[in-house]
Amino acid sequence: MLKRIVLLILFSTVNLLGAGVVSAADGDQLYNFYCAQCHGQGGKGDGPNVTQDFATDPRNFTNADEMQKLSDADIKNVVLDGGPAVSKSALMPPWSKTISEADVVEITKTLRKFCNCEGPTG
Amino acid sequence: MRKLLFGSALLPLLWLMSGQTWADAAGGAEIFKTKDCNGCHYTEGPAKEKTIEDQLAKKGPELWYAGSKFQAQWLDAWLQDPQIIRLLEYNSLDQPNPGGHAKLAADEAAQVAAFLMTLTSDVVVAGKVKPKSNPKGKLIFKKKMPCSGCHQYEDRGKILGGKSGPSLVGAGTRLNPDWILAYLKNPAEFKPVKMMPVFAGLMKEKDMEKVAAHVATF
Ligand code: HEC
Ligand code: HEC
Ligand code: HEC
Repeated sequence: MLKRIVLLILFSTVNLLGAGVVSAADGDQLYNFYCAQCHGQGGKGDGPNVTQDFATDPRNFTNADEMQKLSDADIKNVVLDGGPAVSKSALMPPWSKTISEADVVEITKTLRKFCNCEGPTG
Repeated sequence: MRKLLFGSALLPLLWLMSGQTWADAAGGAEIFKTKDCNGCHYTEGPAKEKTIEDQLAKKGPELWYAGSKFQAQWLDAWLQDPQIIRLLEYNSLDQPNPGGHAKLAADEAAQVAAFLMTLTSDVVVAGKVKPKSNPKGKLIFKKKMPCSGCHQYEDRGKILGGKSGPSLVGAGTRLNPDWILAYLKNPAEFKPVKMMPVFAGLMKEKDMEKVAAHVATF
């Protein structure tokens, strides 16, 4: 119950700030809604869209070796501007008109939980 | 009383519709209620979804702009013999669509289709998109943008593509080409909260027209 109230308060503040873009401020929920369709509910890169003709495997977020090469800023870039903006596959969509920057920060926390890793420091 | 309200809301349509279609649409609205279609579909706009929870709480797609979205003939036929459109169960990522959607007899389907075709959105501009296979639209759909990652389509007799979005196989007979463009240009009008990214502002308007014209040939 308390958690609900806290979420509600968080939620309404973010709503006030995030002009036009849908906001929820819960990284796991945002991840499950927008990202899991390709990256999988457990982050393994095995969502329901990944059929045999899916040209490039979505990043497996549980792979710490790969994920620790990406800084939080790298993640923000690719999520907002899509694969081609960082010379990666166009199957990774651009989300800048869909998800607010504040929400990308929340989603990044979820990705870091999957890899149990941090990005490069310094 | 309810009937009266319903009647007055549709009053302007009286001028546009022949007596017969009018009777069909009114009958269709009645059937829609008695068959509990509105238990899973809402038919009054504008869009109600504000949060992810709102979207996930829905049991079926919104139908308040069905008359702008669908082709009348397809609608009539589908209501009598519903085929799977979304490969996954509505709002699920791991369960296949079980199928078995409610079915209507031919006379009921005609009336419900007539009713649904009266539900329109004035954001849809008529006569802008002519279905036309074109290299640019194809390139965008298959390579430049992630469309094919989430939507099934047919390519030389083979069904390819992802599963999280509605299948676009047969979109050329199902969807109104002008609605496809309106949805790409102004997605918030129809689906403010959805798993598909917003492309408006990231794609040129001309490119949206090209991809809409291409999808309309599917
Ligand atoms: C339509 C499928 C699809 C969806 C939806 C999707 N991704 Fe991706 N994503 C991909 C693919 C494919 C790649 C791999 C690109 C490559 O390696 O060329 C990728 C790669 C990534 C990468 C690694 C980029 C790098 O530089 O290695 C990150 C981070 C990422 N996605 C985050 C997200 C987040 C967060 C979401 C949800 C907001 C999301 N993705 C939604 C398909 C998708
Ligand atoms: C138990 C919930 C439920 C009920 C009751 C229900 N529907 Fe549906 N309806 C759905 C779902 C889920 C879909 C999506 C099916 C698919 O994608 O294959 C759907 C799809 C549709 C579509 C196509 C919409 C689109 O965007 O693809 C129409 C039209 C429709 N229903 C009309 C009706 C009518 C008319 C009735 C009453 C006779 C009805 N439905 C009863 C759940 C329901
Ligand atoms: C990340 C997955 C994803 C990507 C990428 C994507 N879509 Fe979608 N699309 C969806 C989903 C999910 C829906 C259904 C939204 C809803 O009804 O809530 C949808 C709906 C649609 C519809 C309406 C279909 C119907 O029957 O309601 C069309 C048309 C469409 N998309 C075209 C496109 C085009 C063109 C592109 C590329 C420019 C594209 N999509 C990219 C997931 C995606």
